[in-house]
Amino acid sequence: MDIATYKHDVWGTEVLRGVSWDLLWLVIVAAFFAIVLHGIYEARQERGAPPSSEGERVQRHQKIDRIFHWIMAFSMFALLITGILPILGVNFAWLSLHWMAGLLLTAIVLAHILRSIFVKDLSSVAISAADIREGLDDSKKPGKYSVAQKGLHAVVALVTLVVIITGLVMFAMIDTPWWDRTNSLSESTLGWTFFLHGLSTLALVGLISLHVYFALRPEKLFYLRSMFGGWISKDELSANHDPERWAPDETS
Amino acid sequence: MASFDVMPDVQLYQPAELEDALNLADQLGDKGWILGGGQDTYGWLKDRAKHPQAMIDLTGIEALRGVRETSDGIEIGATTTLREVIRDERIKRDYSLLISAADVVASPQIRNVGTLGGNLTQDTRCWYYRRGLDCYRAGGNICYANSTESMNREHCVFGASRCVAVSPSDTAIALTALDAKMVIQSMDGQRVVTADDFFVGPDTHITSMTSLGRREILTAIRIPSKWAGKKFYFEKVADRNVWDFALVSIAAAMSIDGDAIADSRFVLGGVACTPHRLRNVERAARGKSLSEESAAALASLASEGAQPLKYNHYKLPLMENLVRRATRA
Repeated sequence: MDIATYKHDVWGTEVLRGVSWDLLWLVIVAAFFAIVLHGIYEARQERGAPPSSEGERVQRHQKIDRIFHWIMAFSMFALLITGILPILGVNFAWLSLHWMAGLLLTAIVLAHILRSIFVKDLSSVAISAADIREGLDDSKKPGKYSVAQKGLHAVVALVTLVVIITGLVMFAMIDTPWWDRTNSLSESTLGWTFFLHGLSTLALVGLISLHVYFALRPEKLFYLRSMFGGWISKDELSANHDPERWAPDETS
Repeated sequence: MASFDVMPDVQLYQPAELEDALNLADQLGDKGWILGGGQDTYGWLKDRAKHPQAMIDLTGIEALRGVRETSDGIEIGATTTLREVIRDERIKRDYSLLISAADVVASPQIRNVGTLGGNLTQDTRCWYYRRGLDCYRAGGNICYANSTESMNREHCVFGASRCVAVSPSDTAIALTALDAKMVIQSMDGQRVVTADDFFVGPDTHITSMTSLGRREILTAIRIPSKWAGKKFYFEKVADRNVWDFALVSIAAAMSIDGDAIADSRFVLGGVACTPHRLRNVERAARGKSLSEESAAALASLASEGAQPLKYNHYKLPLMENLVRRATRA
């Protein structure tokens, strides 16, 4: 199975064309087995009664962050669907939908980055040595985010930035309502752009599969609920987080 | 790129029954190549720009040949040659638009062996693509025909989406104007699609000009009686009178009530990757008489929305003039 595909440019030189989409099946199978294995592992764990969602509530996500999250999710799924279905042989006019969703993702990620830097506490998603120690010690509870959540966020952020940057380069290479394409990149550079865009897309397929799986795990469903309603109960807070490291505001 | 006088080593299947051909197409998938008259195929193969492992020659299947009457019009077998189409009395009587189109395809020699199905499903003639370059249409990531240095005099002015190639088929625009339907068969059964849905642009499928799947075979073309005996107009403008592809062509079918156009189809060739229906002209033509005045009004609509490339602006007045000529008294 190849990682990349190659072609001959107009001068007859072999250059990169893009990623080999055979890898898509590898990613899907790998994500499937990772999910199944984790599911089996979790099923064998003994758990006490889950914390109650009743009683006093604390705020986990502000409304603006929830809106950002769901717009990101919508645009990401729109991009994956419009980008991958044609590769799988489902033919439709996908390109305009794809770049529109791409622009939406770019705008919302940019807004999220600016808000994270200037309004929110960026350190809440930074991975520290304490986070790594906490990840290795079952007796320690995390702050707002576990090391696994921070790790997944960091990888998704990196891959998303790669897919956005390469996507914007590719966007400049097609006709849009604002400009005519230029064909200004060398075929080799274009090949690398397509390759990185495809590779990051494949990574996102795997990462988003895991993200959706963890969001739907029974013991994690309160996080998904908080992404809709914004809150978790105090019981859920104390069962899953260290109040010394995360002391959220109470909410109604 | 090398060009050869001889064919490459390709396995040739010559089934006598459609069932066998469908079986072969199903088994071979991407490795197979459906062969009609071969007038598009042999160029690809001799240029070594396409590399099928096997060809399925349909011309020995009797069920795919000839013209049959149906309860609502006629059905033409996909491997009926263009010469047979031109000589058919029923087509001549009711659907002379198709005769006009088939009669200007390439040359007499090619019309003698070229089939209607092959003419409809032939690949584009973009020379960058035919040359074997790895462009978008060949599965690559670039269009060589649309840059500042590109020679794109014969490319599209409508419907570009990365690829700017045009459909080379003369009969496609006539059959689109006649509201024809394509009968497509595979091992999964039969499906019938309108000409509008049969031809696909690069926005939908950049490596194919039709909605035919790799395991499917176009078996027949059905022309409904709706346009039988109506007023038709066909004109093809090319650099040469014979053995050339259209720069711009037009096929028009008009239903005349009194002296006014009650309903119409105006379809252009050579301007888009698919037969390009002028729906705005069709709407505006309703109720108009065939006159110089209305012809001028309709002609002005023909190039609406066109986006010419560097060297094909000339197609805009050409389209307008063809619509004008089609709608004169």
